[in-house]
Amino acid sequence: MIRNRWVLLLLRVIVGGVFIWAGALKIADPLGFAQSIKNYQVIPHSLAFLIAVVLPWVEVLSGAFLIIGFFRRSSALLISLLLAGFIGLVALALARGIDTSCGCFGSLSRRADFSLILTDAVLLAFALCIFFARPSRQSH
Amino acid sequence: MDSRKTAREILLILILSSVLGAAVNFPLVRRFAAGEFRQGFVDPREYAGIRFITLAETEDLFARRMQGAEGLLFVDSRRPDDFAAGHIPGALNVPLERAQHPGKKETGPDGSGMLDFPGAQTLVIYCEGGDCQTSISLAKIIHDRGYQDIRIFTGGWAEWRTAGLPEEKLQ
Repeated sequence: MIRNRWVLLLLRVIVGGVFIWAGALKIADPLGFAQSIKNYQVIPHSLAFLIAVVLPWVEVLSGAFLIIGFFRRSSALLISLLLAGFIGLVALALARGIDTSCGCFGSLSRRADFSLILTDAVLLAFALCIFFARPSRQSH
Repeated sequence: MDSRKTAREILLILILSSVLGAAVNFPLVRRFAAGEFRQGFVDPREYAGIRFITLAETEDLFARRMQGAEGLLFVDSRRPDDFAAGHIPGALNVPLERAQHPGKKETGPDGSGMLDFPGAQTLVIYCEGGDCQTSISLAKIIHDRGYQDIRIFTGGWAEWRTAGLPEEKLQ
């Protein structure tokens, strides 16, 4: 378990920053994101729209909270759950042979492939480190 | 107690996100509730040149093309192997992945790319059908390149084939 508070802060900035960036790009184009969700061919039309409206804000808020340290563990857990969901979705798309852009960074999205699963897995590991961490108190 | 606190905080983030999302996208949510975007997430105000067509309309356009109508082009957005296995006769294969990330081989010696369709005014784009979305994504890309009459055949290849309409295969 990581106890060094500076290492933890770095992990929080990395994970939180990625989520704020990803969320902000999606907020700018909700219909494009809804389209990306539909591309995975597992989520019904109306639900895809609902997710496209709400999920980017979940990403931005949890990312921001993670960085500023407000609701730190809850944000880390929520981000971990989201990442696990993203990994499952991309794995399913790959297994079904669906060729699609990931939709993760709006118009800057890349292809949903195995390297994306690896990236998400690294972020998931970081988020779980933050969730389980018990930062050491500064000694006097 | 700690897990309850975590669950409460997560719920709070979700509620806050829902409120913010609904507030910021209120006009869009209203349009969705009124029945817009049911066939695809394409905003007609942004993509005025894109519209969705049925099998009957597609058949009609196909018949016109077979009779020699000019300026009409069918575009298949599926993967090359799916295209090779069967497609609408005369269709051009433009896989979405290559349109999104064109390589050197997609650009001709005169600088023209795979998204240039000389002489074509009306493009009919289709993919597999059912829940497939590549035709919509490709239509948006082509629209952004200036084409103003793009029809998306939502039934796609599955509906065309089920209807027993003509098909072509690559050797």
